[in-house]
Amino acid sequence: MKKVESTLENIRDDIKKFYDYKVWHFITMNGVALDGERFEVQWIFSRYEAMDESVIYYTVTEYDKIIPSIEDIIPSSIISQREVVDMFGVKIDGSEAGLYLDADSLQMPLRGCGL
Amino acid sequence: MKESFSKAFQNLFKKPQTIDYPVTEIKKDKDYRGLIEYCEEECIYCLKCEKACPPGAILFVGVENPPKNEKNKKGLKYHYNPYLCIYCQECVRACPKPNEALWQSNKKPTIGVASDRVNDEWFELEAIKK
Amino acid sequence: MKKTIHIPLGSQHISLLEPVKFKFECENEKIIGVDSDVGFVHRGVERACTTKFKFDGVGYVVARVCGLCAITHSMTYTASIEKMLQTQIPLKAKYLRMLLLELDRIHSHMLCLSHVSENAGFEAIFMRIMGDRELIMEIQELITGNRVQFDFISIGGVNRDISSEHIKKVKEALKVVRSKVDGYIDEFTNNWSLSLKYKNIGVLSLDDAYRFNAIGPLARASGLKIDVRNEIDYLPYSEIGFEMQTSTGGDIHARNVVRLNEIVNSIQMCENILDALPEGEIQTKVKGKPDGEVLVRYEAPRGELAYYVKGGGKPMLDRVRIKTPTFASIPSFSHIFMGSQYADAPAILASFDPCLSCTAK
Ligand code: SF4
Ligand code: SF4
Repeated sequence: MKKVESTLENIRDDIKKFYDYKVWHFITMNGVALDGERFEVQWIFSRYEAMDESVIYYTVTEYDKIIPSIEDIIPSSIISQREVVDMFGVKIDGSEAGLYLDADSLQMPLRGCGL
Repeated sequence: MKESFSKAFQNLFKKPQTIDYPVTEIKKDKDYRGLIEYCEEECIYCLKCEKACPPGAILFVGVENPPKNEKNKKGLKYHYNPYLCIYCQECVRACPKPNEALWQSNKKPTIGVASDRVNDEWFELEAIKK
Repeated sequence: MKKTIHIPLGSQHISLLEPVKFKFECENEKIIGVDSDVGFVHRGVERACTTKFKFDGVGYVVARVCGLCAITHSMTYTASIEKMLQTQIPLKAKYLRMLLLELDRIHSHMLCLSHVSENAGFEAIFMRIMGDRELIMEIQELITGNRVQFDFISIGGVNRDISSEHIKKVKEALKVVRSKVDGYIDEFTNNWSLSLKYKNIGVLSLDDAYRFNAIGPLARASGLKIDVRNEIDYLPYSEIGFEMQTSTGGDIHARNVVRLNEIVNSIQMCENILDALPEGEIQTKVKGKPDGEVLVRYEAPRGELAYYVKGGGKPMLDRVRIKTPTFASIPSFSHIFMGSQYADAPAILASFDPCLSCTAK
């Protein structure tokens, strides 16, 4: 597992440069709560037909920042983006909330969870 | 194609795959996992089973007339909730005296109905424990 | 401007067993737009794993994410904890794990095949496959003691040993299933009425499989070589004769063929495991608290399952991220629906083998 740090401004360019759709398999997008204000956003990839070779692009950001969408680079990222939006109550360009949660559910269940 | 027709046709005259429950008993192997059973005299009250149980289906709660056992220094009584238990056997593996103090049978629980107060009684026990 | 109509499929529908809702935008019979809603059975498992249960109990919690592939969830979670704690588990435990994982794959694929034929209007074969599947369910229950939630894998090994009497029974059952599967292969490839509903329907091209990151039998039916069993080293799959099954065509028929071939391969692997079952312990003591972060993947019957686990040296974990196969396949599902006939939608959907309980976790 290799981790590559990036920033919100550069993440789209970094992934665009890195992602060759016939070599890398996009697993999912993920969030990890760090403390009350910050969380780590991750984009997880693995290489096709390689023994356990995965790369995680990540950036640490605050909950109120808008995260850029990578839907145009990787079309299948849309669904995990919507999950992160629901679970952490953050904003991602063009991803609506409401995949899992309804108006009367517990909101942003994973924010600050496990600390 | 012909074969699948003939098979479908033959199946009309075969015995059903399902069994006629409850007239016919369900086959039960001796190794199937079921309720946890406990022997008060053998227990050494180490509370390892209580700690190991993932859903918290075993509780040792202090009572006024505790079971007589010299190891039972804190006056505890064993409680088991068959409706919470997931039959995972973690408790038996944690127990220092498996098969004597605690073991798994292949029995299934009776059906719990509201008048048994299975939930309420258990919540009361949990409240005492906290 | 063309006029379109919206037709919903689900959340309750006669051909669906699971609560998923698709909203199709149709132009006459042709689907030109898809919108999906999958969150009907969200239970907050990820949150429960980090707030309610200690790490040694979480394996039993995540098994409840799904009823069909429960064991793959406990396997992947357990493997991630073992990787974090750097535990080496005994070889016999690894073999027993693989045995149950492959049996699970057999029964899950059989379930899927029976539903695909049901949704294509072939009830008789649905009944037959479901009846034969029972043989596998019975031997699973015999080995583990439970029918659905096996709770067989725990951190450090497996919970039960297998007796020689059970080995004999398992071998007998596998032989019967093997002969039945040969019959299905014949029927799924040669039956004319099934081919009407399957061939060239719901096609996913290889390029689209790459672009939409398809996984599991869905991707392998399009010729994309992705099978996580080929990409892991914590279970010795190469020793027991694992072979990746792929096909070309990417239609429903190709998916059925991949699943059938995988059943055959899994039966073969189970027999090899039983023949070469090593002696030794089935459990090791595990000490320590998980610290650090790991990503572990495993091939569930429906495709790649990934666990990202982060621990901070405490009994409670910091984060458990479960990426389930159906969840990651939704973009490819939607893509396949585009341009299909509405009447084919149930059969196409069943051929994906969707598991909504996993998806919504
Ligand atoms: S079998 Fe599992 S759930 Fe049941 S009491 Fe024992 S540890 Fe608890
Ligand atoms: S682990 Fe065994 S000996 Fe210890 S308290 Fe439980 S039943 Fe008694």
